[in-house]
Amino acid sequence: MPVSDVSRLKISFGHACTWRRMSGLLTAILVLASMSLSGCSQTSGGREQIVVNGSTTILPIAEIAAEDFTKANPDTKVLVSGVGSSAGIESVSSGSSDIGTSSRDLKPEEDSLGLIDTPIAYDAIAVIVNPANHVRKLTTQQVKDIFMGKITNWKQVGGSDLTIGLVNRDEASGTREAFSKVVLDSEDFDPSAVILPGTGQVRAVVGSEASAIGYISLGFVNSEVRAVSIDGVEPTVEAVTAGTYPITRVLHFFTAEQPTGLAKRYIDFVLSPSVQDTVVRDAGFIPISARSQSSVSGGSGD
Amino acid sequence: MTETSAHEPESTGGAGFKRISRASHIKELILQNIFLLCALIAVMGVALIFVFVGVRGWPIFGEVGLGKFLGGLTWHPTAGEFGVLPLIAGSLVVTVGAMIIGAPLAIGTAVFLSEVASRRMRSIVRPAVELLAGVPSVVYGFFGLMILRPVIAKMTGGLGFGPLTACLILGIMIVPTISTLTEDALGSIPGGIREASYAMGATTWQTIYKVMLPAAKLGIIDAIILGMGRAIGETMAVLMVVGNAPVFYQGPGKPMSTLTSQIVMDMPYATGEHRTALFGMAIILFLFSMALVGGVRILSRVKERTA
Repeated sequence: MPVSDVSRLKISFGHACTWRRMSGLLTAILVLASMSLSGCSQTSGGREQIVVNGSTTILPIAEIAAEDFTKANPDTKVLVSGVGSSAGIESVSSGSSDIGTSSRDLKPEEDSLGLIDTPIAYDAIAVIVNPANHVRKLTTQQVKDIFMGKITNWKQVGGSDLTIGLVNRDEASGTREAFSKVVLDSEDFDPSAVILPGTGQVRAVVGSEASAIGYISLGFVNSEVRAVSIDGVEPTVEAVTAGTYPITRVLHFFTAEQPTGLAKRYIDFVLSPSVQDTVVRDAGFIPISARSQSSVSGGSGD
Repeated sequence: MTETSAHEPESTGGAGFKRISRASHIKELILQNIFLLCALIAVMGVALIFVFVGVRGWPIFGEVGLGKFLGGLTWHPTAGEFGVLPLIAGSLVVTVGAMIIGAPLAIGTAVFLSEVASRRMRSIVRPAVELLAGVPSVVYGFFGLMILRPVIAKMTGGLGFGPLTACLILGIMIVPTISTLTEDALGSIPGGIREASYAMGATTWQTIYKVMLPAAKLGIIDAIILGMGRAIGETMAVLMVVGNAPVFYQGPGKPMSTLTSQIVMDMPYATGEHRTALFGMAIILFLFSMALVGGVRILSRVKERTA
């Protein structure tokens, strides 16, 4: 076998021809380098592009708006991804994205980042249960006690004798942050609740388990689950617009500075009636202009 | 292709390296160096990851304190509490549970394949087991989430997220690792030992239980350790079914979390001390797998001595 030849070669030439060894190594490196270079060619191809990064709740708005925007402006590219509100704020302040989307307000420690806030829509957070659950209405206090682990059985709130299965979101979630602020007064969730990393998963689990309760953005409520009324108000677009439904929040686009160039064009497009009245409403959210007359708590102004 | 064909007629002369032309031994050298480079890149990869994780994670032991980090009972990063003990406990519970389910299953499979199965049976079962190893872990997780979780939910009365679901999934995931290695261990026992047992009038079961398994003992322990390494490091499948609640074990159907799944859950938004703590958790995982690899090394040395 050539194996023995090779080993003999190594013994005889190994020391004498170190420069050859070195050149061999160099060639190998060069070959590898050229391979990797030809592997990834430039994809931007001269098109102007921005990166929009953050909330999974805002994803439907940002994505469809981006599609429409790039269709109207073929020389541009808008890259949208959903990684959670906190990650979005983190990425826009570190400069790795142009717009950070967030379904929660800035935390006090994030004020110093100097981000520019553009509110783009209103949203309600619906408390959802399994359709087989007989509980149709809860008070804010009951929801708070349930999610803090003080109420543990459905019979305590007028349901059947069944242990409550809490479904919570991960801490990167803006929905969790907003829910915690409005409903729990920022007190701690029951730490033994199931934590799921996405709105879709929360809905799927609540939809399949009779004992489950969770919370998702109103826009994601479908026939798999039932949204309960809170303090006697059903979570509907009308109730949110009228300001009577208690668990609402503002959806934000954050930029590092006053938006300019492509980022400004994209944000203006999202705020235009062509997106606000179609994409935003279709996704189950409320256009930012809808509540400007009525008094809005927590709205960062316009 | 052209390289080997060009060099063959010269090197197969049998007289050794002197007959090899200059051009072909340069090619040999280049090839040797490419292989050297491959090995170096692998070693460098491990070293770089180790250094990176170490440098990023080490400060946590100073910032939070060794006792509060490793011995802390609460993982609540937004409140500044970085106790990883519930997560370490979670990782161990899930791993041990997976071993209890997976190891007997895998060893049984290996014994069946090597001692009992007919050639035809073997040609069906073995590829099927090997295929298990090729199933992506996210698919295992999805299977666990959609099929297994509702069943566990009915059994335990909760939502079905928890260590039991995770252990069942992991138990199946580690079967190929353990069974392939166990089969190798059984196969490497000299055929004469098995024949001698049968010649003494032992039944198949007696041969397996009294002769084959004891003879392959070290190899089987080896296999189990490597299976443990696979189980403790598994992330995606566990993340999807374990419930991710950073609390101590509360029951087979109650949510829990592990080191790996918590790192993935927190990574997207962790900053500052929290991020350092995640790297600190990676150091702990590294130490676990180093201990397991060390165990395998020691075992193989013992094997060499007894062989």
